Amino acid sequence: MFEDMVTARYYEERLQEEYLEGKQPAFDISAGPIPGELHLAAGQEAAAVGVCQHLRDDDAVTAPHRPHHVAIAKGVDLNRMTAEIFGRKPGLSGGKGGHMHLYDPDVNFACSGIIAEGCPPAVGAGLAAKKRNEDGVAAAYLGEGAISQGAFLESLNLAAVQKLPVVFVVEDNDWAISMPKERVSDVEDGSQRAGGFDMPGVRVDYDDATAVYDAAEEAIGRARAGNGPTLLEVQVHRRMGHFMGDPETYRPDEDKEAAQGRDSIERLAEELRAAGVDDGDLDEIREPARDRVDEAIAWAKEQPEPDPEDAYEDVFVNPPSGATTDEPTHELAEPGGGD
Amino acid sequence: MTEPDRIAIEAADVWPEDVEETEAVVVNWFAREGRRVEAGEPVCEIQIEKVSVDVPAPVAGELVAIECDEEEAFTRDDALGRIEPA
Amino acid sequence: MAQQEPQAIERDLTMSRAMVEAIGHEMRENDEVFYMGEDVADYGGIFDSTEGLLEEFGRDRVMDVPISETAYLGAAVGAAQRGMRPIAELMFVDFFGVAMDQIYNVMAKTAYMSGGSVAVPMVLTAAVGGTYNDAAQHSQTLYGTFAHLPGMKVVVPSTAYDAKGLMHNAIRDDDPVVYLFHKRLMGIGWMPAPDGPKTAVPEEPYVIPFGSADVKREGADVTVVTLGLHVHRAFEAAETLAEDGIDVEVIDLRSLVPLDTETILESIGKTGRLVVVDEDYLSFGVTGEIVATVAEERLAELEAVERVAVPDVPIPYARPMEDEVVPNVDDIEAAVRSVCS
Repeated sequence: MFEDMVTARYYEERLQEEYLEGKQPAFDISAGPIPGELHLAAGQEAAAVGVCQHLRDDDAVTAPHRPHHVAIAKGVDLNRMTAEIFGRKPGLSGGKGGHMHLYDPDVNFACSGIIAEGCPPAVGAGLAAKKRNEDGVAAAYLGEGAISQGAFLESLNLAAVQKLPVVFVVEDNDWAISMPKERVSDVEDGSQRAGGFDMPGVRVDYDDATAVYDAAEEAIGRARAGNGPTLLEVQVHRRMGHFMGDPETYRPDEDKEAAQGRDSIERLAEELRAAGVDDGDLDEIREPARDRVDEAIAWAKEQPEPDPEDAYEDVFVNPPSGATTDEPTHELAEPGGGD
Repeated sequence: MTEPDRIAIEAADVWPEDVEETEAVVVNWFAREGRRVEAGEPVCEIQIEKVSVDVPAPVAGELVAIECDEEEAFTRDDALGRIEPA
Repeated sequence: MAQQEPQAIERDLTMSRAMVEAIGHEMRENDEVFYMGEDVADYGGIFDSTEGLLEEFGRDRVMDVPISETAYLGAAVGAAQRGMRPIAELMFVDFFGVAMDQIYNVMAKTAYMSGGSVAVPMVLTAAVGGTYNDAAQHSQTLYGTFAHLPGMKVVVPSTAYDAKGLMHNAIRDDDPVVYLFHKRLMGIGWMPAPDGPKTAVPEEPYVIPFGSADVKREGADVTVVTLGLHVHRAFEAAETLAEDGIDVEVIDLRSLVPLDTETILESIGKTGRLVVVDEDYLSFGVTGEIVATVAEERLAELEAVERVAVPDVPIPYARPMEDEVVPNVDDIEAAVRSVCS
């Protein structure tokens, strides 16, 4: 867990550096080695690792536009994910998707760019597991800004009424871009939304990875055993702005400072030290994690960009040719498959 | 060009306090050379790192010179243009 | 340059500032006008579409809303049905799908379904367009999607001057107006605009009626019909083509609904050659519509036609691929040369 958290944090720090290259002295979104917008998740690691520790490769995870920490915790191929973020040909989607649209079917991970959009597909993954009599589970990640979105609320209801193996994970970082939590919802905690759907709603405070781990163990166990969905909310914090380039002029300085002081990784390190792990041992986890990140970024940057013509491929997996062919050109997932 | 009666338009007064960067870029000019401007009227917009700030005319008068064009970088103490007071 | 009277030189505004000036004016004149959307108050709009309005009008009239497009766009429709004049912003046009029922089935059809007895005098604003590698869910224009369904007026400014006049008209219009502004034209520091959208803008209010396409460049050989960002790309192509003696007329549609067919047909009467340029998808969209309209009315005079639009693929992320599919100056140039050959 500590290793994934360190990896995720260092990954975001390194991406930040790379992203800002060519954007000085003035920020230009189109300049530098990483295309497009970039939403970094530094400060949200506890929510990712505490849940994904309990998931197998065949369990599905959907994440929103701020996905890297969850992807790392889920075991997404780091090199190919990085290549995708840099818009390179060997990237997970061949450079078509980018940082908000990462797909790794080997570990059943997907993310997308519109708020709460991943909730219904997670419900669908849970539905598929149930229909196939498998014990697979799906986890849908969303931010606290998304808890008023219809797609989320409708998904809670459908998962509840069908008793589907889904865990909804709300990452509460206090801010929906510039909107503080108290201005987007009258309930104090997103987990209270569960009450309206008669499902358990659990909240974990203080970016506490161990507490997330425990809460997720129960929620995922419940789902796997066929006892239905859970809504789990984790307090996290936003260390780097909504997106790179966000001037955060709306955010009080004290809030920014408080976020820097609430470090989930340091909290876990303290717990580990208390349990007898010494700093040398922690460094032995940290250093290879950082090396892995550095290597992934170096590898990604060496990869070629896609060819312009690649843009025309993949609109369909079975390109239309006037009549549907008898033989699908794409290998679809086998029932019961997905190891 | 730097006759004493021409007042320099400077960005130093509007430079955000918490920004360490000393270089910025002119994003937009809102007045062309020859325009009569009022004191306090935004004459251009600059961007320092991620923050963009309007630079007001220090005095009323005619904008007689633009010394830093759009998309050009400048440092904190550079004059961006000159106004001949009315 | 000849010496001008200092007072005669208008100040220049970026497109975002021109829009905000019109909104501010209408809000001052009419208490029933208000603005709501995500990050429109403290942030001032992600693309500066509401910069400074909170300070003047306060939170009651410049409302940040929870992320729930169905609810707040639908609420704008409801307030408009009661006679208020809401302006509701969809941060990226790509998010429209979240609230498609409210837009497609309520906002657009209320007037008709009520036999004209209930109006929806609202403005739906949204940021559109690519060119900065934001991929498939943040880069579309979707012009045709809104223009396709009857009941919505659809407006697309390409300059600050037009943005202001069209916004005044949009807020005063008694029907729902979809006002689509291209991010690349707004004049934001972190997304530099091409030369062109920043123009002189009079301080007093003025309206530009919908359905008045603007011949932004006169020419005798080829008519290029376009809108939004591609007006400026068409200019650039026209400059190069002029060096080779090809005289291009550029028509900026400014609104898709209503569509000013008269201006297009008049131009075709003169040039006989048509190139339609659009940043929306090629099939079932703006380019097909314009070509069909011209073919119906002026088939005999039409010598050659080309369409330049996004080939039917979602917008890809990596730069070489996005550059490939979003029409650029070279694509326009090639299409013009092709209708001239």
